[in-house]
Amino acid sequence: MIIDSYELPDGDALQADVCIIGAGAAGIAMALEFAGTGIEVLLLEAGGRGEESDTQALYAGSVAEARLHSPPDRYRQRRFGGTTTIWGGRCMPFDAIDFESRDYVPHSGWPLAREALLPYYARANRLCEAGEFSYTADEAFHRPTRPIIEGFASAHFTADTLERFSCPTDFAARYGHKLEAAANVRTVLHANVTGVRLNAAGRSVDHLTVRNLRGKSFTVRAAHYVLATGGLEAARLLLASRDVQQQGIGNQHDLVGRYYMCHLAGTIGAIKIERPASSVWHGYEISDEGIYCRRRFALREATQRSFKLGNFVARLHHPRISDPSHRNGVLSLLFLAQLFIPYEYRMRLAGAGSTRLTEWLQHLRNVALGSTDAAGFAWHLLRDRKLAERKFPTIIIHSKANLYSLDFHAEQQPNPLSRVSLSAETDALGMPRIHIDWRYTRGDVDTVSRSVALLADDFRQQRIGTFDYDPAGVESEMTRYGAFGGHHIGTARMGREPRSSVVNADCRIHEVGNLFIASSATFPTSSQANPTLTLIAFALRLSAHLKSLLQRPLPQPAVRSDALCEQT
Amino acid sequence: MTSRVLVLGATGFIGKRVLGALGASGWASPVAASRRRANLAGADQTERVQLDATDAGQLRRAMEGVTAVVNCVLGNSRTIIEGARALFSVAGGMPRPPRIVHFSSMAVYGDAACEVDESAAPVGRLSAYGAAKFETERLAAANPSIVTLRPGIVYGPGGAQWSGRIAQLLYAHRLGDLGRGGDGYCNLVYIDDVAEAVLRALQSPEAEGKAFNLSLPDPPTWNEYLSRYAAALGAVPVSRIAHRRLRLESTLLAPPQKIAEIIAGKFSPPLARRLPQAIPPSLVRLFQQEIKLKVGLAEQVLGLRWTGLDQGLTETAAWYRPKDSNSAAMNSFAPH
Repeated sequence: MIIDSYELPDGDALQADVCIIGAGAAGIAMALEFAGTGIEVLLLEAGGRGEESDTQALYAGSVAEARLHSPPDRYRQRRFGGTTTIWGGRCMPFDAIDFESRDYVPHSGWPLAREALLPYYARANRLCEAGEFSYTADEAFHRPTRPIIEGFASAHFTADTLERFSCPTDFAARYGHKLEAAANVRTVLHANVTGVRLNAAGRSVDHLTVRNLRGKSFTVRAAHYVLATGGLEAARLLLASRDVQQQGIGNQHDLVGRYYMCHLAGTIGAIKIERPASSVWHGYEISDEGIYCRRRFALREATQRSFKLGNFVARLHHPRISDPSHRNGVLSLLFLAQLFIPYEYRMRLAGAGSTRLTEWLQHLRNVALGSTDAAGFAWHLLRDRKLAERKFPTIIIHSKANLYSLDFHAEQQPNPLSRVSLSAETDALGMPRIHIDWRYTRGDVDTVSRSVALLADDFRQQRIGTFDYDPAGVESEMTRYGAFGGHHIGTARMGREPRSSVVNADCRIHEVGNLFIASSATFPTSSQANPTLTLIAFALRLSAHLKSLLQRPLPQPAVRSDALCEQT
Repeated sequence: MTSRVLVLGATGFIGKRVLGALGASGWASPVAASRRRANLAGADQTERVQLDATDAGQLRRAMEGVTAVVNCVLGNSRTIIEGARALFSVAGGMPRPPRIVHFSSMAVYGDAACEVDESAAPVGRLSAYGAAKFETERLAAANPSIVTLRPGIVYGPGGAQWSGRIAQLLYAHRLGDLGRGGDGYCNLVYIDDVAEAVLRALQSPEAEGKAFNLSLPDPPTWNEYLSRYAAALGAVPVSRIAHRRLRLESTLLAPPQKIAEIIAGKFSPPLARRLPQAIPPSLVRLFQQEIKLKVGLAEQVLGLRWTGLDQGLTETAAWYRPKDSNSAAMNSFAPH
């Protein structure tokens, strides 16, 4: 059932077996696992069913350098469904190498291998509505699919792996009816956790303090607590709960909030492929299940090891939209339409600086000259994206002249100096706001610049065409839009040792017996992959772990319980 | 010596398969009964009788010398109830009442959204079909020699409603991945398993007076079923059907489609078969109904084992695929 904290009496005390904080991707995935079992679950959601400006404002904070990081209330949503209400839907699992301790990636290594996640990845994929868990072209398709560039076989990159796309699925809209029907899961909206209160010994959570913006407060007691918030909020809540452990929960070694990672992403260079346009395909294939899938150039594991590089993927991309010299009517139309595009997706359409009048005019000229293409594209956007429930994932512009740029997405190395901390300011509920000081390292620049160079070399050696870029400009390109928005990783890292990590392999805070984290906050390294699928897989794994801890005879888990059915 | 088994509704999807299974059993000699003489025409040696199953007099004559009756009669609520009433009363009046295997339906559980065993009471308001089947079960309660079968979604080669119609809608991309609209469970049971259930219900002494759910024990969701069936048919890629579109189709389009189908059926049956299928609101509700039939009793008492979904879908698709998606005889969609 779903209730609203506004309807609860002030000072109420709620109880459950498991309390999950945050009804986003991880929280909803976990709650669904418990639905229909004998386990009583409370799912606390800070927001309501839609975006509310006063609730969203609770996410506001400061950043050390605005050029490098978006404001903290962007790219994340404090509402039922969490950030799945605005996500892009790109799904891919982490690679086996991501879990390894690599001597060339400082602070790398997970306390488990990829195999431990495999049973949960398949279900995570289904929850995301991204089809089967098959991420190579051969597995996913029983027919030949188009290569990115015909005849291009790179020693350093594979083009066989795929990314798959969710609808993108808004977990509240998609699964809200199941939570509504689950008698043993109480979802409480407008329930802002303002404190995690430990017992006097600091070894377990005694209760949570919860408040809403109408001045009511209540407490929650449970056998187990799960922080299923995003990577920023998890650190904020742990650091702000300092009544028993003065440095914050799980932070006796000053690790919470540190090692903050996003991804390194950008678009670079001018690629001219010297092949017929028909031999290049950088767009999507649709699998039999109806899922948009796309190949990309992925840096091989052997190359990562031998060149001591982080994980890296890249895709052929249209030329930079903001520069009107591409003379493409569709791209100029997109540039002109940027005002109508949500902030989170507008960033990369805008140029780095302000646009000159002559550039605006050139864009208008491009649209006028390419009006037929632009109209066709506008129709495609309307039909396949705006109106479709399974949306065409990204903008794909096929270039008749075979002109492209390279869009890359790379692993950021863990760095203790890159961190999230509490600021002196507080929000409307009295919670300290966060301050973000995101930093990158030489190693990060190295991963991107040497990977790009390897691909350029491969193009050259195989006479694919030309790839012109300024090697000295890689750093500025990878930071042109700052840290990749929305991927908040590493602030409560997972590991074996309390001295170097916050949670153990079961996602439990080392020192606290009943507090778990289901969030990308726990990832010790960031991979090349977007984090959503993996954080859901971890959430599912944690659900299984909690079920085993509660050790109750469980009825069939897939069926919702319904009081009506007991009238036999 | 073989037992004579009268099969009522022998020309329907289930009736035909039951007839075949009885004929191949070695212990039964089936007698095919149907309302229309034309439908009974057949080349084999099966004994055939034309009758109106709601007419007790005709039934009494047909039941002389039979040791068992299988009631697969289709029709509207009146036909269902009156047919059952006539059958049970004639059987009750016979010196040695025959074993009766009576087809009911999962529709008797109404809007239940949970796991249901055979003792579950209906939830919510029953559909007209569900209410009619429920009434027949009430009538059957007085007669211990009746075995009641409650199949879920009966599919397989020849199945117009759950195989032909669904295939047609998948090819037309009017069904597919239904998102939240397809989270209900699809309690599929393969037609051969239904026929096997009849054979065992006729023979098992412990089955007397009992009702049995018939379904795959761990049924897929409708979304899974539709995707897997589409893959078997080659009706890919599966389309995502927005929930609002499905609701719009069922509320705005389905009524005029149904009227057009009825009118066309009166004047030109071939034309009626070419009309696009309606997706009625009841179907949209069923796609969302999270009901699972418990089938432990059928497994224990009847010893039933279930045909796997992959095998069932492969055989169903093989039946449907060679045909023109518009031409299969799929216009008789009375639910089983």
